[in-house]
Amino acid sequence: MLFPTLTFGLFFLVTFCVVWGASRSNEWRKILLLVASWIFYGAWDWRFVALLILSAVLNWGAARLIDDSDDAVVRKRVMIVGVVLNLAILGFFKYYGFFLEQVGDVLAAAGFARDLPLVQVILPVGVSFFTFQGMSYLVDVYKQRVPAASLLDITFLMSFFPHLVAGPIVRAADLVPQLQATPRLNRGMVASALLLIVWGLFKKAVIASELATQFVDPVFADIAGHSRIDLVLAAYGYAVQIYCDFSAYSDMAIGIAALFGYRFPRNFDQPYRAASLQEFWRRWHISLSSWLRDYLYIDALGGNRGGVWYICRNLMVTMLLGGLWHGAKWTFLIWGGLHGLVLAMERLWREYRPAGWPVLPRWAGVLVTFHVVVLGWIFFRAPSFADATAYLRGIGANGAGGMTATPLQLVLILFGLAIHAAPPRLLQGIAGRVRTWPAPILGVATGAAILLVDAMRFEGVAPFIYYQF
Amino acid sequence: MTDGKTDVRNTMRAHDASPVDLPDEPGRAMGEGRRGLGWTGATILIASLFLLLTNAQALNGWAAEQTPSETMVRVTGATEGWLAATERMQVATPRAWLHGLWKRAQAARFAGQAPAAED
Repeated sequence: MLFPTLTFGLFFLVTFCVVWGASRSNEWRKILLLVASWIFYGAWDWRFVALLILSAVLNWGAARLIDDSDDAVVRKRVMIVGVVLNLAILGFFKYYGFFLEQVGDVLAAAGFARDLPLVQVILPVGVSFFTFQGMSYLVDVYKQRVPAASLLDITFLMSFFPHLVAGPIVRAADLVPQLQATPRLNRGMVASALLLIVWGLFKKAVIASELATQFVDPVFADIAGHSRIDLVLAAYGYAVQIYCDFSAYSDMAIGIAALFGYRFPRNFDQPYRAASLQEFWRRWHISLSSWLRDYLYIDALGGNRGGVWYICRNLMVTMLLGGLWHGAKWTFLIWGGLHGLVLAMERLWREYRPAGWPVLPRWAGVLVTFHVVVLGWIFFRAPSFADATAYLRGIGANGAGGMTATPLQLVLILFGLAIHAAPPRLLQGIAGRVRTWPAPILGVATGAAILLVDAMRFEGVAPFIYYQF
Repeated sequence: MTDGKTDVRNTMRAHDASPVDLPDEPGRAMGEGRRGLGWTGATILIASLFLLLTNAQALNGWAAEQTPSETMVRVTGATEGWLAATERMQVATPRAWLHGLWKRAQAARFAGQAPAAED
């Protein structure tokens, strides 16, 4: 059940009416939303609803044990066991096949070819998101950052349908306190929510889908058959596509949650206006980057304690694992490695930059950072390492053929980049005006905006890129 | 919120505060609670009715894509009837006009490029 479909629209309308109309009891409200979330998740595969519930029960139980114990050793052991169990769920569903393939390759290279027990494991949608939520919850309870939540609240936190399949990774500290009282809607929240939903629909259904199906996918599928200019434009096009795709999901998730009275944190903040890679990661997929920073970089690896080389090692490990989080593929690992390397270089440059050397102007920093990110996207998007290197060779060589990008595709790429030059918090500024409108005017305006998007959208709906993660 | 054992960070971290939180507007009482819900419900209802009227094609397309069953045959019949009615009332015209403009933009080519394939 994809957000930009009528099926989801009808599901949302029914859920909205039932949840706000059926009961004023906060507990019943949460139960109704929980059932709706399981129906939403079950639309992909009913079997994985059980996995979701099992994962919630596991984390609830472990957190209770941690919270109830006064013995520091027991608390730590339970936390470690809980994190390992979460990792085991993630590892089995996401990395089992990849791991066996690599073992098979190594054995074959060593002359010990064996038939390994290859099992086709179906990846449950959103498993990377809800297992990360579970792990951060256990660590937060262990470190006494949050109290242990009730079974209902932790199940709700992990299952709530707006963020369930592609984030943002909403932490217990963000959502559980909001679950203690019946939420109330106010006009500002709703105006922002409607704008985020319509804007997200436009980014996904018009920009991302058009670029993906009509330009980027065909170029990446036939690298040798495209000219240098097409390859360069498709790399920029993918940068716009993945931003418009993923940020659209986040915008819609935040907007939909707000219509039920819950606030999710910001997940994107005009990432391509970053003047360094460090800044980029404060603007891109903020819920993942802050998760990796807080739980992996700081809690597990020690963060900035130690010398500069120790910090560089931590940056590299964090980004390599961040790359691997996206999937069991060498290209994701290389993408993470590239980001880790550049982050480490930025750190070393800050540390050892000779005194008196000029500082790069901000515009130049933005330009360099954007192109480093685009280079990373080529590895991220390419089906294999060989394809990515062929792509880069194609940009270096002057291949035959002209440009196949159409005027509309060029306009969409430029528009997708120009979004980043818009004043920060523009949408909230507009929402501040919209909240004063009477309901009939806002209703017609919302309907007209959705009609406009529907008239422009590509036929059919491609799944969101981050569903596969 | 503290329970003697836990110092809870019950507010969202400052760097990633929610984009749906707007600053209060001084001197203007914004609908809260039941009034806010009433305003939201009315907005969503009107937007839905607007789309039902102007975008019957989407509803009909959705019905046609569903797994065939006796119920869906009846639903598809109803959506086809509704689509025909909105076309007679000319309320489907704006969507068709906008879609036509978009198709022309999609078909536009730079000089020297092969023309777009016919749908």
